[in-house]
Amino acid sequence: MPTANDEQSHFRTAIDEYLETLPAQTCQRLYQSPASCLAVFRLLPDLAKQLVMSLLYVPTDVSMADMAARCFQECASQFNEGLQKLLRLHIIEQIGDATAAKLRMNAVFGRELRNALTGGGEHGAFGVPCDVLDKHPVDEAFLDQHATQQWEAILHFMIGTAVTKRPGRAALNLLRRSGLMASSATGDADSVSMAITNKGFQFLLQDVNTQMWAFLLQYLDMVQDLGMDLVEVLNFLFQLGTLELGKDYSVEPLTETQRRMLDDLQDYGLCYRRKKGSRRFYPTRLAITLASGNSASLDSEQNENGYIILETNYRVYAYTDSPLQIAVLSLFCTMRSRFQNMVCGAITRESIRSALANGITSDQIVTYLTTHAHPLMRQKIPVLPLTVIDQIRLWEMEKNRLQTTQGFLYQQFARQQDFDTVLQYAQELGVVVWYHPAKRMLVVTDDGHVQVRAYVQRRKNKSQPTAHGAS
Amino acid sequence: MHTPCSEANVNRKRRSRAEEASDEVIVDEIVDQVNVDANITALLPRGATLDISDFPSFDASRVRADAVSRLFDRQDYTYLPLKADHASRPIWINPETGHFILEAFSPIAEQAQDFLTAIAEPVSRPSHLHEYRLTPYSLYAAVSVGLETNDIIDVLNRLSKVPVPESVAKLIQECTLSYGKVKLVLKQNRYYVESQHPSILQRLLKDSVIRGARVLDGGEAIVPSRAPTADGLRIPGTARKPGSEGETDMFNAIIELDKDDDVGEDEGESVHSFEIVASQVENVRKRCNQLDLPMLEEYDFRNDTFNPDLEIDLKPITVIRPYQEKSLSKMFGNGRARSGIIVLPCGAGKTLVGITAACTVKKSTLVLCTSSVSVMQWKQQFLMWSNIKESRIAVFTADQKERFAGDAGIVISTYSMVANTRQRSYESAKMMEFIKSREWGFLLLDEVHVVPAQMFRQVISTVATHAKLGLTATLVREDEKIDDLNFLIGPKLYEANWMDLAHQGHIATVQCAEVWCEMSPEFYSEYLRERSRKRALLYAMNPRKVQACQYLIKYHEERGDKIIVFSDNVYALREYALLLKKPYIYGGTGQTERMNILHQFQHNPALNTMFLSKVGDTSIDLPEATCLIQISSHYGSRRQEAQRLGRILRAKRRNDEGFNAFFYSLVSKDTQEMFYSTKRQQFLIDQGYAFKVITHLEGMDQMEDLVYRDKASRLDYLHTVLMASEKDAILEDVGGDAEDTLSSAAARRTTGSLQSLSGGDNMAFLEMERSSRARKDTQHPLFKKYKKRHDA
Repeated sequence: MPTANDEQSHFRTAIDEYLETLPAQTCQRLYQSPASCLAVFRLLPDLAKQLVMSLLYVPTDVSMADMAARCFQECASQFNEGLQKLLRLHIIEQIGDATAAKLRMNAVFGRELRNALTGGGEHGAFGVPCDVLDKHPVDEAFLDQHATQQWEAILHFMIGTAVTKRPGRAALNLLRRSGLMASSATGDADSVSMAITNKGFQFLLQDVNTQMWAFLLQYLDMVQDLGMDLVEVLNFLFQLGTLELGKDYSVEPLTETQRRMLDDLQDYGLCYRRKKGSRRFYPTRLAITLASGNSASLDSEQNENGYIILETNYRVYAYTDSPLQIAVLSLFCTMRSRFQNMVCGAITRESIRSALANGITSDQIVTYLTTHAHPLMRQKIPVLPLTVIDQIRLWEMEKNRLQTTQGFLYQQFARQQDFDTVLQYAQELGVVVWYHPAKRMLVVTDDGHVQVRAYVQRRKNKSQPTAHGAS
Repeated sequence: MHTPCSEANVNRKRRSRAEEASDEVIVDEIVDQVNVDANITALLPRGATLDISDFPSFDASRVRADAVSRLFDRQDYTYLPLKADHASRPIWINPETGHFILEAFSPIAEQAQDFLTAIAEPVSRPSHLHEYRLTPYSLYAAVSVGLETNDIIDVLNRLSKVPVPESVAKLIQECTLSYGKVKLVLKQNRYYVESQHPSILQRLLKDSVIRGARVLDGGEAIVPSRAPTADGLRIPGTARKPGSEGETDMFNAIIELDKDDDVGEDEGESVHSFEIVASQVENVRKRCNQLDLPMLEEYDFRNDTFNPDLEIDLKPITVIRPYQEKSLSKMFGNGRARSGIIVLPCGAGKTLVGITAACTVKKSTLVLCTSSVSVMQWKQQFLMWSNIKESRIAVFTADQKERFAGDAGIVISTYSMVANTRQRSYESAKMMEFIKSREWGFLLLDEVHVVPAQMFRQVISTVATHAKLGLTATLVREDEKIDDLNFLIGPKLYEANWMDLAHQGHIATVQCAEVWCEMSPEFYSEYLRERSRKRALLYAMNPRKVQACQYLIKYHEERGDKIIVFSDNVYALREYALLLKKPYIYGGTGQTERMNILHQFQHNPALNTMFLSKVGDTSIDLPEATCLIQISSHYGSRRQEAQRLGRILRAKRRNDEGFNAFFYSLVSKDTQEMFYSTKRQQFLIDQGYAFKVITHLEGMDQMEDLVYRDKASRLDYLHTVLMASEKDAILEDVGGDAEDTLSSAAARRTTGSLQSLSGGDNMAFLEMERSSRARKDTQHPLFKKYKKRHDA
């Protein structure tokens, strides 16, 4: 499978890290929107926020030493970290050499953030509410349900339990691009034959916020190929975060790109429109919490309460009726029976091994179980029974008992004496991986190969050993 | 000449005189299995063969199809509607398998737990969610402690989050409607068939066999009388009367209403009965089973004037614990003695429960246990807890054959002594006659799980007894023979929750660990090569294991623990013990030496470690031990694991602040042992114990004087192990274990050259632990007799 197996368990999930990779001009344009400035500001670590606030209303450059002096000595590293981040985000520039460095705030960022805070500047930077009353108003519960439904449809599709409608074309495309799913050789974008990848399995075990960001970052990568303006896309995403849940907003002030986006975002459950071309849209909770930095999200209730009980006898009892949660559990549990509000399963060697075979790591399983542990489990420390966790880890280790060493095999030595000499030479170099005198076979490491081969070549007038590459 | 054939002869000869010498070995005759099975089946009522699957509940049309339904196949019970107030009810009911899942954290969990233990078998009881399973046997037990069909379904419905599924309700009805409706009661030494429902008695009387057995004294056919109550009965050692509060407060919160309603009627409630001829009892009982109306046995000991009373009571200082009281209240709930089995973990005071029951019945009592060691322990316990005169206790073993003074008393013996069908010595024949000739008020069966069913039949048919009580710690067996016990002795009356007892400090809290020892390369390659039983020897003798054992002993001795090391394999036991310079006891160790070692272990601070073979699994009572290391074990026996754990549960220091007992199981990695080990632990894991896996013992390699550190010594050691004969690889066979006895009774086939068979291999034939019988037999009986006569 063409998956990024090597970058296993690594998700680019943090939007701030993504922003750091943007060129200065893009940032400059991005910062022209007060909503974006506010959103970026919210994403900053605490000390960086402090730094921005202190510089925000200072018209002149400030010496770096002065700023550093505002911090306790022991927090110096955090201060530096924050500063570096600001530099990478092009919010602050460093002027002068290291000895007398001065800090200057990005003028655009400063201006627009001030606007955001004081409510100045252009009208409608934080979305324009519809002035006409909706004939079919929707409430928050409906929006939550819509968001859940849309997003879970994608996850269900990934896991292969979709009985509901297939996600939209854009979403499918994104799934493939992000390597979460791979289409089989014959399939095209619309074909059914898409299979979840190892990365996709890992993806399923993340919380919704992480998933959503991982997904959207892929989207950002893709927009330029689609001829959309990255800055407008980002602006709109950040804007969504500042909107109010349950209010309807007008489509009018949006740009062409942003209107196109609206269709995709609706697919992911980030916003709701009654029908395509509708004049209004509603952001969902998913969208609003996205940029706020909190992980409150779709299954916020379960996240707070948790629903999984793991017993010392390896039984898993999950208080849930969500098909998605059950499907995710079934990735590493053998399911036994199901009641309306509870499912019962067990962690077995087989279930864990099949999870491992899918590329899921024991750490991911443990993290998933821990974050979703029932409040009863949380009363105790450690939350999960240690023995079970140990066992899961041991099962994983079981898989990794063979170590591979790259090497080159030398064989078919004509005479024992040849073999012995070469072996002795290789041993002196300390590059022998394995040898078998009776079979006259010898494996040397990659590094030693060149020297040993040269040595064999030199003796070639006496014998004709052949070298085969092998591992 | 020593061939398999002559060996068999020798065995047979030995067996004929075995009775004289053996007191530990349980009959291992090869019994016609088919025959026995047929007999047992005849004893089982139809209800016992029912299964929940006989009542189909699955209705495909009702299953709400959904994205994940396919994961559960038939086990998707989302069609069962949740009750509106389901959150306050603690259980789910599985309609297909009859499992209950109980939220142990519910406020009414304790009552629910009591109720469920009464009607179902506990499957697993970890910390939050418990599982129970409904079986015909468990329902039989429920009925016999006085629960009625409608009570069961009602209470279940009240506890359940979902309505009681039809299938479960049906199973309960089918199993309970016929159970427990008829009782066989012994009053004034006359047998009565008793029932609360005259119509059932009418039905029985229509049957010719039963009609023929009836005693006709010209009076009414069916005599009504007052229902028995527990009024006036006091279980010694408890403050309350059984049945009154003892039983009701368990269900109080739940079935209070029922009880309230019943109280009024209870006073006037009557039962009906007719008398049958004593000689026909067995026939009537069988006939009732065929009619699907199995009889419960109750002994109205208070109204038994025929059998003389035994003067026995608990000493005033003896106090019994709440759970012991609870178990006894189940037995004496209605003022009569019910027959049945009480399951308590080792170390939780089973003996005291037995003694208290004997003190309640106050009639002649026969106690049967598995070995002569436990016979002595029982005697000593009787003297310790009760005020019985020593002359009233008689011991009947191979060595001692006494009778008690007076007309009532206690006899303590072993199963093999009583069940023996072979020729007996004069003295024991006389003793047996004595046992057979009299009526016993109470039969106490220790460690019931180890005794094969046919032996029970033997015992039960030879001994005339009114009430039977079986005691055990683990009602699990690898062969599902346990179920038969329910009908041979009686239903399970009570089963304690290990974790609860541990939390309350009645038994020690134990840290269980499984230590994975890598096989050293040399041993592993031999292991892969070997096909035979020697494999077992190789993984038992794994040098890494010896090291781990040495390390753990050192570590725990320094902590001040007293350590027992268990090995089933006698060869390994001896090697380990000699190497680590510790004393060891196995089946062949003489009684004096045995006692000496045990005494030293208990009292000598310099001796903190002792090696024990399988003989120590049960009955050896060592409250000093706080740490247990297991190096070789009996394949996948869950029971042995639990029994061994039991050795440290009664640790004296258990109530010290933060005290933990330790249980280590050393397992050679990548061998069959791993598989067995997982299997063995299952019972304890279901009881809520957690086995921690230790892959690396910190600091072991740095330990000074660690054995087999270098390769040369390991190779040398390997050589010794390989030289060990095949016989040494065999686990010690200490009988008392049907699972083992049956398998060892099978013919053994060995291959070897004629030369080697005839001893041409320069090999001397030493009889080494062929069986413990052989070991006991070091002295020829002729000399023994001579000596005895001489001594006298």
